[in-house]
This record gives sequence, C-alpha cells and structure tokens, in this order.
Amino acid sequence: MPDIFISSKNNKKEDIKDNKESGSFVEEKKIKTDRGFNKPPVEEILKREAYRGLHPMQGKKPLSSFLFSPDGINFETMEAEEKVVLFLRKHLITNIPWIFVGLLMILVPTVVSALSIFDSVPANFKFIFVLIWYLITMAYILESFLTWFFNVYIVTDERIIDIDFYNLIYKEVSDANIDKIQDVTYKMGGVIRTLFNYGDVLIQTASEVPNFDFLAVPKPDMIARVLQDLRMEEQQELVEGRIR
Amino acid sequence: MIPIIGISVWGILKIGILILLALYIVFAFVIVRQVQLMTATLEVGFESQLKFLSFMHFLFAIAVLIFSFLIL
Repeated sequence: MPDIFISSKNNKKEDIKDNKESGSFVEEKKIKTDRGFNKPPVEEILKREAYRGLHPMQGKKPLSSFLFSPDGINFETMEAEEKVVLFLRKHLITNIPWIFVGLLMILVPTVVSALSIFDSVPANFKFIFVLIWYLITMAYILESFLTWFFNVYIVTDERIIDIDFYNLIYKEVSDANIDKIQDVTYKMGGVIRTLFNYGDVLIQTASEVPNFDFLAVPKPDMIARVLQDLRMEEQQELVEGRIR
Repeated sequence: MIPIIGISVWGILKIGILILLALYIVFAFVIVRQVQLMTATLEVGFESQLKFLSFMHFLFAIAVLIFSFLIL
C-alpha cells in the first residue's frame, strides 16, 4: 500500500534543521502514530534518553531545584498512574542572601565580645545571651531553608501543583489540570537571572486558582516548552477520547 | 545589682528570659510538627535529615532553658 504522506525534500531538510536546533525529537520516526500526527505521548517523551536536552533524573537529588522526570518523588494528592514530569524550586542561587545573613549572625557574638560593650553584664547572663542568640540564628537558618525546600512546583502529566510554605505555621497547596492552562508566560530579566538562567513562569488557568506563579525557577524557557508539549498532548487525548 | 521593690534587675531579667525560652520551646515544637506534616505532604528523600534538624533545634531550645534555670 503506498504511503499517503509524501513530503518534499525541502520539508525534510527543514525537519532535520528543527530537530538539530531544539536538540529533541531525534527519534521522531519511531513514535510516529497512525493518526499522522508527530506529537509523541507523554509516556514516550519521558522514556527518551534526551528530550529537548533534558535527561530523566535517576536516583534521588532532594536538594536540586530542577528535576526532569525524577524517580522517588511523592506528594500528598498524587494519583497511582500520575507521572512527575518536572519538579521545581527556586534556583539555588536565591539562597545566598539568607546564607550570608546566617553567617553574619554566627559571627555577631565574637565581634560584640571583642568590642567590650557588655563588660558590665554578669558572665552567666552573657553566656545565656550568647546561647539565645545562637538559638535565634539556628531558627532563622532552619526557617529560611525550610521555606526554600518546601516551596515547590510540580508538573505532572495531568496537572500542575504549587506547594507553598509561607512560614512555619502556614502552607497552601493548589493544583490545576493541564487542560485548564490558558496561557503560559515566562520572564527573565536582570544580570543575575540571565547569568544563572532562571526566571519566573506565569501560568494562567481556567481553574479555581487563576494564576500559578513559578518564581525564580531554573530554565524557564524549557519549562514553558514542556508545558506546551503537555498541553498539546492533553488536547490530543481529548480528541482521541483517551482521558484517564 | 539595683534592687526594685526588693527584687534585683537581674532577677526580673532572669524571669523574663525563662518565660521567653519557654515560649521558644513551644515555637520549636511547632517547627518539629510542621516538618513532620510537610514531609508527609512531600516526599523527596530528605525527610529523615530534616526531622533530625528540627528535633535538634527543639532539644537545643530545651537545653538552653535548663541552662538558664541553673546558671542564672
């Protein structure tokens, strides 16, 4: 039976050029489906060794701020068949201010004792003040770390989840289905952000939570592309009626 | 020491420090509890270390309270 899809040589060249530029869809031929549509299913995307220059994360890297298709990540509302595509946090570089302040706080008792300001204070009180100061320093460092660590953004093959840990006594978890995404914008600006390749990804949805802001995340352009691919896949699923 | 109605300033300060440290212990316990809840919300393979850190902070707060009670 003759192939009904006959493309011109020029088109083939353009396809190859596109593939080289994006560093992706190298194995496009393998996953060409009978629907004559080149978009691969998410499962196929995640199985690939390299998808748009991203490699699936093997093993655990709990302190990473950008994980593509990671293993061993679970969250409270995760469904059995759900697959994590992206696991994101604020870029590691955003931790520098609190690390710097924390180090300064550690040095304060040494500096103050050298200045002889509190010479009139009894020694036992001085000792307890130093201990209390280190207690406050420890709380500050712990709280700053926990705020960074638990503020995560997760993109699965079905939805996006925003886990916010505002402070030690308040958390917020919101999610929206991929097919509810209406608009994805990413912003990168400033010297530091350009240098370390991080920025904000702003997602507008038609769900109850209208905006999802992935703030200061690494590779925002890549995240926008992955979201675009997932939206396309979701639309294709809707057309084909293979909704989970 | 400057006595105020029979109690020294350092005595008042000692009571203040002990009350604050007692409140701080409550705060440290809230951190331990919150870390437990958050690690249940999100599992990424760093749970035991985080729980250990928050628990050490809690123990440190208790130790400082006991020290204050004994030394001051």
